[in-house]
Amino acid sequence: MTDAPAVAPEAAASPTEPDAGAAAIRLERLTKRYPGAAAPAVNELDLAIPRGELVALVGPSGCGKTTTLKMINRLVEPTGGTVWLEGTDIRTLPVHELRRGIGYVIQQAGLFPHRKVADNIATVPQLAGWPRDRVRARVTELADLVELDPDLLDRYPSALSGGQQQRVGVARALAADPPVLLMDEPYSAVDPIVRARLQDELLALQQRVQKTIVLVTHDIDEAIKLADRIAILKVGGILAQVDTPEDLLRDPVDEFVADFLGDDRGIKRLSLMRVRQARVSPGPVVAPAASAAEARAVMTTHATDWVAVVDGDGCLAGWVGAAALDGAARVGDLAPESFAAVVHPDTTLKAALDGIVTSRTRVAVVVDAERRYQGVLTVDDLAEGVTR
Amino acid sequence: MIGANEPLIEWDWVSRHTDEIQDRLWQHLSLTVVAVGIGFALALGLALIAVRWRWTYGPLAGVAGVLYAIPALALFGFLVSFPQFGLGFRTAEVALVSYTLLILLRNIVTGLDSVPAATREAADGMGFEGWRRMLRVDIPLAAPVIIAGLRIATVTTVGLVTVAGLVAAGGLGELITEGLGRSFSTPIVVGAVLSIALAVVLDLAFLALEWVLTPWARVREPRGGET
Repeated sequence: MTDAPAVAPEAAASPTEPDAGAAAIRLERLTKRYPGAAAPAVNELDLAIPRGELVALVGPSGCGKTTTLKMINRLVEPTGGTVWLEGTDIRTLPVHELRRGIGYVIQQAGLFPHRKVADNIATVPQLAGWPRDRVRARVTELADLVELDPDLLDRYPSALSGGQQQRVGVARALAADPPVLLMDEPYSAVDPIVRARLQDELLALQQRVQKTIVLVTHDIDEAIKLADRIAILKVGGILAQVDTPEDLLRDPVDEFVADFLGDDRGIKRLSLMRVRQARVSPGPVVAPAASAAEARAVMTTHATDWVAVVDGDGCLAGWVGAAALDGAARVGDLAPESFAAVVHPDTTLKAALDGIVTSRTRVAVVVDAERRYQGVLTVDDLAEGVTR
Repeated sequence: MIGANEPLIEWDWVSRHTDEIQDRLWQHLSLTVVAVGIGFALALGLALIAVRWRWTYGPLAGVAGVLYAIPALALFGFLVSFPQFGLGFRTAEVALVSYTLLILLRNIVTGLDSVPAATREAADGMGFEGWRRMLRVDIPLAAPVIIAGLRIATVTTVGLVTVAGLVAAGGLGELITEGLGRSFSTPIVVGAVLSIALAVVLDLAFLALEWVLTPWARVREPRGGET
């Protein structure tokens, strides 16, 4: 970050930020010192959150990530420093107006148990005094956006599953269409299968709504999956590193960050990369019309004991092994076996690796959406991608 | 003493005194409703103070506890000795209200404390002002505990109003006092039975009120499957 050096005290106290730039939120020397605590919970934290990005705050417990989040909507008052929201010092805004302009999603959804799901979603529009018709239309729209069954709108939250409650929590946060969303460990209370689905939904939702999102999580894998940028905090609210997940995994600045990312950084990077980013080899391929001798020649060239069978339209039929060729005139006379690992250009390299290590042929076959053969991926190809 | 050969209840007397009995019942009801109403208003105010400034809760509950501990008869007698009170409705109300305070204060504070912290934080984060959160989130969620307090306070007050008959405040207690004075069991039985009936009816009324006000608390539908 390139801060203007030595800002004069008068300038620092001005309610508008001189250079807002692309950051929707900028934390400037943000500090929280609780009375009686020896060390600050958050210490002079500088962090820019670019407009339309999802930034994850991660770190061990006691790193002040939740405190930092809550200073953005003033649920926690900073003892030092400034939060700039779209170039405005948030202290100059009435606190209720500020909060109604920031979506807030908390752990276990935190729904109002005494209000029906529709009323929960309508909370902020009702506070803001929207006309009833507009509120109702917005609630229906949001239920659709977060993929919530409209029949549930008339129920009380206690009748909903954890995953459904969390969807309502997101709909409620989005109700007044705030540009900024704060999410505090939103998926910590749901089981892993539901969590993965909710995470996928959030990614799809973010594609559509393009909010500036600050997400607090203790789960580095969740951060890697969801975030455009990850800020890793050390105990005491000290920023260790902020970077894209790719850069963070490739170049952790120190031992602390490397440890926090875990000892499977390479594998985690594979989870961020897609098959289309990797080098795909042509692989041993024959047409159904090829003779057994031609097939054997291809195997010899590629040092394999199998060949892929691809028909005239380029579609993958399967593979045949060397042993099966004995006594067959043409490859097409044989019933080809199916590849265990068939991947698409959008598949993650981590999934491709899993396919490779569990398949008999030790490759993942790449096909496009029409199942046309693109080539094969080997462990070597993947390693090439990670070390590149 | 009541004569041994006299019947417990003389229906003749009852039919000759229906107007008086109705008046007494009506007085009993108004004494109770006014006492619980004023007590609730005071207790709610005190509870809001106790929740906002936590250190005040101990002293407030302490004072309410002392009032609660004074024997009813002694308090009525004590108040009657002051010229500005004397016998009657006002004296009875002062005593009755003071008995409701402890029960109501405790239940309102307990109810407000039982609101989940996550719910309160969500409300703050959504931008509720303090008073609006209290009105729209905290108090509705505390309603079951608050109504439980109102039920106890009301049933207790119906019983105490009977004692208030001794300070000529009206109510069914006056029937009992009359019966005791004349060694005549009929008004005693009528007064006692009606005050019990009144307590039961008011208790059921609060149950109904709770049922109407807290539909969310009785929802125990099977949870929907994960979708």
